[in-house]
This record gives sequence, structure tokens and C-alpha cells, in this order.
Amino acid sequence: MVKVNKKGQINHRKKPLIQKRDYIGWMIMLPAIILFAFFVWEPILESVRLSLHTAKGFRIEEFVGFDNYKRLFQYPTFLQALKNTFVYIIWSLIIGFFTPMILAILITETVNLKSLFKVGIYFPNIVPGLATVLMWKYIFGEGKTGVINILLSYIGVEPQVWMNNTLLTIPIIVIILTWKGAGATTLIYMANISNIDPALYEAATIDGAGIIKRIKHIILPSIFSLGKMMLILQIISVFQILYEPLVLKQGGPNNASISIMMLVWNYANREFNYPMAAATSVVICIILIVFSGLYFKFTKTKKD
Amino acid sequence: MFFKKYSNKEDGAIRFYDLHSTRTKILSIIIFIICLLIIIMTLFPIVWAFLASFRTIKDFNNNPSILPEVFNFGLFVQTWKELKFFNNYINSFIVVLGSALCAIFFNGLLAYAFAIVKPRGYKIVFGLVMWSLLIPPMTSMVALFVNINKLHLTRSFIPLWLMMGANAFFVMLFKQFFESLPMELIEAAKLDGAGYLQTFLRIIIPLSKSIVMVIIIFSINAAWSDFLMPYLILNGSGKETVMVRLFSFQGSNATAVEVLRAVVFSIIPPIVLFIVFQKKITEGATTGALKG
Repeated sequence: MVKVNKKGQINHRKKPLIQKRDYIGWMIMLPAIILFAFFVWEPILESVRLSLHTAKGFRIEEFVGFDNYKRLFQYPTFLQALKNTFVYIIWSLIIGFFTPMILAILITETVNLKSLFKVGIYFPNIVPGLATVLMWKYIFGEGKTGVINILLSYIGVEPQVWMNNTLLTIPIIVIILTWKGAGATTLIYMANISNIDPALYEAATIDGAGIIKRIKHIILPSIFSLGKMMLILQIISVFQILYEPLVLKQGGPNNASISIMMLVWNYANREFNYPMAAATSVVICIILIVFSGLYFKFTKTKKD
Repeated sequence: MFFKKYSNKEDGAIRFYDLHSTRTKILSIIIFIICLLIIIMTLFPIVWAFLASFRTIKDFNNNPSILPEVFNFGLFVQTWKELKFFNNYINSFIVVLGSALCAIFFNGLLAYAFAIVKPRGYKIVFGLVMWSLLIPPMTSMVALFVNINKLHLTRSFIPLWLMMGANAFFVMLFKQFFESLPMELIEAAKLDGAGYLQTFLRIIIPLSKSIVMVIIIFSINAAWSDFLMPYLILNGSGKETVMVRLFSFQGSNATAVEVLRAVVFSIIPPIVLFIVFQKKITEGATTGALKG
């Protein structure tokens, strides 16, 4: 049994080596540990191992060191995908980063129907990713029966080819991603704004600050500090874009929208080249760990 | 009428005392109208998909209009029968049910060990679980698929169920909730001679109904929407889920309206789930993201 000595410290010497609590505790953890090992931890190590070998189908053949990585970095489509990723990031900064902030500020200032606005803005989030993309495929349809083209025809604009225009493919994908994802971020910003002490606004009013000034000096600084974290989460999700380019144009036109994750898909599901798919995954993984590390650094400093 | 409720306004830059000026009143109305327009824009694609799925392909291809000429509900039923969507629904429901159960049981037990039992050395496991939050599951998908193949578990629902039992995010949500539970109750159970597992099933889970609900809803939605792993495991097995079926329309000769009807079939269950649990879902969305 545990005994407490005079100084109030637990006397460790008399404790048996394995207590009942430890034994049962580990038994309780065991099922989940096995699942984590099988579904999460081992596949990561396996990815690394696979990426250093050649294979025939699922069978590993010989160790080739970093050859797969060398091949990957010389593969023109990989370089294109990497370049596209940066274009994706730039567009999602322009479209995806500020939209939720603006939405949050606007919805916060409403009173009537506020809960409808909150629920409505989050609604696209629950639509499955694949269904979202298929739906938007027809909304940005070419020709005169595409939905956006119909709407544009009301104001006399000629039908556009949308996805077939290499310059528009990525921005359209980012619009779709923003439509689906902005609501969740908006709710987070709104929760942040509600936590602002109302006395701050009152103090600002006494100092003669109007509504615009209050937004600029009280609300914006508050959500921008959260925005840093949201930005990193957004970049992390951009690296994982797969469904949108895959379903919309198979990464085209001319690889203009191919993402790195789609490269993994192509290696695994078209060429059945699992080592190359694994090597590409490992590269994405390393990039993402760097960004996640930054995210956790920001969240930590925020708590301090 | 419109401004009556503003006296209870709690947050935001516009305060109730600002509404004495006409300019602020106009501004409030403008903001309200902009928000209405935003919501219409947000909901429009879904409403349009529903409307378009009532149309015939002729109407869809030739008639540049948003609204269908006639609401032909029969087409809906016809496509449902032709595509044998019912089977995919059943498969998806099986996946969703098993996933939700696994999500509660395995993640809950692990979090219980982390938050309350705390056996010696649990911090190592906790650290590893935290680390796996950093790595998106998509990146190790290929290796996982190779492993599942080696165990001959493809063409089976089992890996899809169990996969939801290893979700670091759910473990975090559970752990935070369990830590907030009153310890006296747990101590009392111990004095009454309840074992650790009994305490979990009889005390902890009933006390944690709200977080259990959140995780059930999240895992149902995740399992329903998941496409990549079900595709790798179930494609061609006759056990395809709704999402796998939806993807198979790529490159098939299905017409646009048939695809849109399939899209509508696939989004009806999440929409029902959302309408029923909208409050829980929107609350869960903010707490999860802020704390996790």
C-alpha cells in the first residue's frame, strides 16, 4: 500500500512494482493502442520503409535507398503539382482567409434571424466532400445551361468555359472549398468575438470611437490573433486537396489543377506503384509536420 | 419591430445605445440584408441540386433555366430503383453504425485511462496520440491499404469500423470532458467496490451524454462522407457505400440528372442529421476547434 511519510511525500519504496491500477489501466488502454498502432503509427513507419524499396504490387522487392525520392523530384508532374500547391495557397489566402472574418463580423452585428445565419453558414460543412464537388461541377458547367452561365446571361454576359480555362481552374476549386469550409471558421471567429469584454466597446464609445473604429481597433486585433492559427490549418488542408481536382477535371486541363495528393492517388490507383505513392506521401507528411509544428507553437504562445 | 431585439444585443461593435442614430439603424438594416443574401448564396447550390434532380435530361440540357419545367417526382423514384441505391444505403448505414460504436468505445476507453485511471507510463501513449494529431490520415493511406491487404481484410467492413476507433481528435474531446467530471462520484463508485471498467460503463458514460452525442454525430458524418478508404477497400466487392457508388459515376455513361439525383440521395441523410442536431453540431464545431 502507498504510505505517506512525515514530509507528506508518497513513500515509493513500499509500493509494489506493478500496482493493480497500472495493470488494469494498461488493459483498458490496450484495445485502443492496438488500433492506433495498426491504423496510425505503423502505416507511417511502413510508408517510410515502402518508399525506400521497389515493389511488385504489394510485395516489397529490393532496397533502393533514396532512388524513389530522386525520381520523384525529377518527375515533371511532381514539380507541376508543387507549383500548383503554391497557386492553391495564394488563392486560398485571397478568397478563403478573409471571407470567414468578414462573415463573422457581419453576422455578429445582426440580431434578427441570427441563429438562422449561424446554422445556414455552417450547413455546407455537412455535405459530403464528393457530393459537393459533383454538385459544383454542374454549377460551373460550360455552355448555356451551366448554372453560373444562366445567372450571368440575366446580366448579358456570354457563357464562359470555366473549368476548361487553365487560369480559372484553381480559383474555382478554392471557391468550392471556401463554400464548404468557411462556415466552420466563421463560427470559431464568432465565438471569439463574443468573448470580447463589452466594457471595451463602452470605453471606446466614451473616447468617441464610432462603429468602424471599434471594429478596427477591438474586433480585428482579436480575430487576427486567431487568424494566424486558422491560416496554418488552412495551408495544411490545402496540401491535402484531392477530390476537387480529381472529380472536376482529373487534375487537368493539362495538369493545371493537379495537387500533390492527386499524384499519390495516381501512383496508387492507376500505376499501382506503391513505393512511389509512399515516397510522395512521406514528402507531404514532412511538409505538414513543419506546418503543424508552427500551429502548435502559435497555440502555445497564445495560451501563455 | 426590427430594432426591438437590439436592446438585448450582447456582442459586436454595434451597441444598443448606438441605435438612437438613424445612420446606425440604416447600417444595421444593410448588414441584415447582406447576411440574408449570403445565406441565400450559401444554400443556393443545395437547393438547386434538389430542383435539378426533378428534371428530365432533355429539359436539363436544352432549357437554360434554374427552375425545372415540371416537378417530376416519378423520375426520382425511377432513378432510385434503376441505380439500386437502396443497397448502397444499407452498406453505408452498416459502416456508419459500426464506426460510431467503435468511436465511442475505443476512444472513450483510452481517454478514460488518460483522464482518470492514469496508470504509470500513460504519458508515453498520450504523447504518441497527440503526435498523430499532427499527421493527416490521408498521407499514410497507401501503407495502411497495403497492410490491410496483407491481412486479407479488404472487401470487409471491419477495417472501416475499427479505423474510427483510432481517432486522436475524439480522444482529446473525451479526455477534456472526463477531466471536468466531479471526481467525488468516481471516488464514491470506487468505495462501493465498482471496478474500473464498471465505473466507466455505469458512471462515466451516463455522465458524459453530451460529449458522447457530439462524438456520435461527428463520427456518423465522417463515416458517411468518407470516400477514400471505403473506395480502396470496398470497390468492386458488392459492398460499396453511397460515396463509393457516387464516385463510380465518374467516366460512366450516367446522365447529368442521374448524377445529380445520386448526389441528392447522398446528401439527404446528413441533412436530416443536421436539421435534427443543428444546435449540438454548431456548438461542437466551435468547442472542438478551439480546444482541440
